[in-house]
Amino acid sequence: MGDNLDNRKIDEREYKESTLSSLYEEYYDKIARYAYFRVGNKAEAEDIAGEVFLKALKSLKSYKERGIPMQAWLFRIAHNLVVDYFRKMKKHETVPIDNVQIEGGINPAIVAEENAELERVKKAMEQLTQEQKEVLRLRFFSELTSREAGQVLNKSDGAVREMQRAAIEKLRNLLTIEG
Amino acid sequence: MTDDFEKILDDCIDRINQGESLESCLADYPDYAEQLLSSLQAMLTAKEAYSFVPSPSIKRANKERFNAALENIVRKREERKQWFAWLQGWPRVGVSVAVILIIAIVGYFGIKPALTPGESITQPDPGYVTPDLQPSPTLLVVSPQPSPEGNFAFLISDDVNAIDDFESVIVSISKISLLKSGDSDQLVEFTPELSEVDLTQIKGDKTQEIWRGDIPEGEYTNITIEVSDVRGILKETGDEIEIKLPSQKLHISKHFIISADDLTTFTYDLTVVATGSEQSGIKYILKPQIDQSGADHKPIYSKGSGKNQSD
Repeated sequence: MGDNLDNRKIDEREYKESTLSSLYEEYYDKIARYAYFRVGNKAEAEDIAGEVFLKALKSLKSYKERGIPMQAWLFRIAHNLVVDYFRKMKKHETVPIDNVQIEGGINPAIVAEENAELERVKKAMEQLTQEQKEVLRLRFFSELTSREAGQVLNKSDGAVREMQRAAIEKLRNLLTIEG
Repeated sequence: MTDDFEKILDDCIDRINQGESLESCLADYPDYAEQLLSSLQAMLTAKEAYSFVPSPSIKRANKERFNAALENIVRKREERKQWFAWLQGWPRVGVSVAVILIIAIVGYFGIKPALTPGESITQPDPGYVTPDLQPSPTLLVVSPQPSPEGNFAFLISDDVNAIDDFESVIVSISKISLLKSGDSDQLVEFTPELSEVDLTQIKGDKTQEIWRGDIPEGEYTNITIEVSDVRGILKETGDEIEIKLPSQKLHISKHFIISADDLTTFTYDLTVVATGSEQSGIKYILKPQIDQSGADHKPIYSKGSGKNQSD
């Protein structure tokens, strides 16, 4: 009996491991883009994306499938790592690379134009509520469906659609004014 | 009506995320086309401004780390399973004897290091170090030792931007990592022999060698330096001023090849740039200068002529 229980636990664990592993290809980029939007630094965003999967692997024991799907759980881990990142950064003040990164071989005029556009969008995004920003990050940059975004945010897909419409309307007006 | 529009907008966002064009979506919902157009254009503007394609080589390296960690967990679980199966086959007396023996062995080896400080039971291979996670057979973390006869030298240089504002800019580098690509990826990590560099002394074509040693031959794609500190003294006032970093890990993607017989030098170019205005206050930022960095920059000195070089 005890042996059967132990085997079942191992099977469940193996099942979770293989699910997590299968999510890597599809969700790594989505998580990296989510992190990039938040930290504004490509190298750090890629570090965070890698770290999300390692953290998830270490914490698989605590993950319960009946709670939320694993992909939504990964985004919650990403959110926590971003929060940790900012906490760490407060100690060593840095500037987002968006403001400074001019890669070699790229026309500086184009880079300046792209930076100006990024600045304009960033300013507009800053005026949205936290929830609206999070919905757009998950829908636009991580390209999750409303249902998946709802699972991350603990909201119904209807609530996500409503927040999304309001957020886009506000963003559209702000971009029109700024433009 | 609002609910309908929310669903249509949601559908269009999904379709655009999957690669469909804005026009095809508008064509399917002609009654909402005008309203949709402005909303979806706002979406596309935001997406484009923040567009970011993660590096495939870093993604692969991160996957290797993940696989290594997973393999380690699976291996430990298998070992545990075997151990329990073996233990169940023993009679109780045998188990008691084994437990006593284990306690005695653990006690002996647990106390021994405390009694003889500096002495370890198993010596790690000096060529390889264990990273945060166990290295997998396909992603080895290699820590080569410095050697004056090595096949690789790492140099720092400064591309002239705002450096002339400074009396000195001391950059402290704690670690250098090189990603080697191939059938089995390797991360080559080393600590610079010279950990502090004054950028004002290596402006333009001047370089400073900070490490030389033997690294595995093959193709390399990514270079990261970890900067632990930057201190700048302004010429005009003599004051120490803060120079910001985009990140403590300064990462660049450059392809270069290492062979066992030749000396390859890699010059990592840093630059200090000024931002802001005199009214708002000038800020200085240290960043990598990617187009000036690379393995094809020949150093202008002969091997063994000293660490600080100039033209």
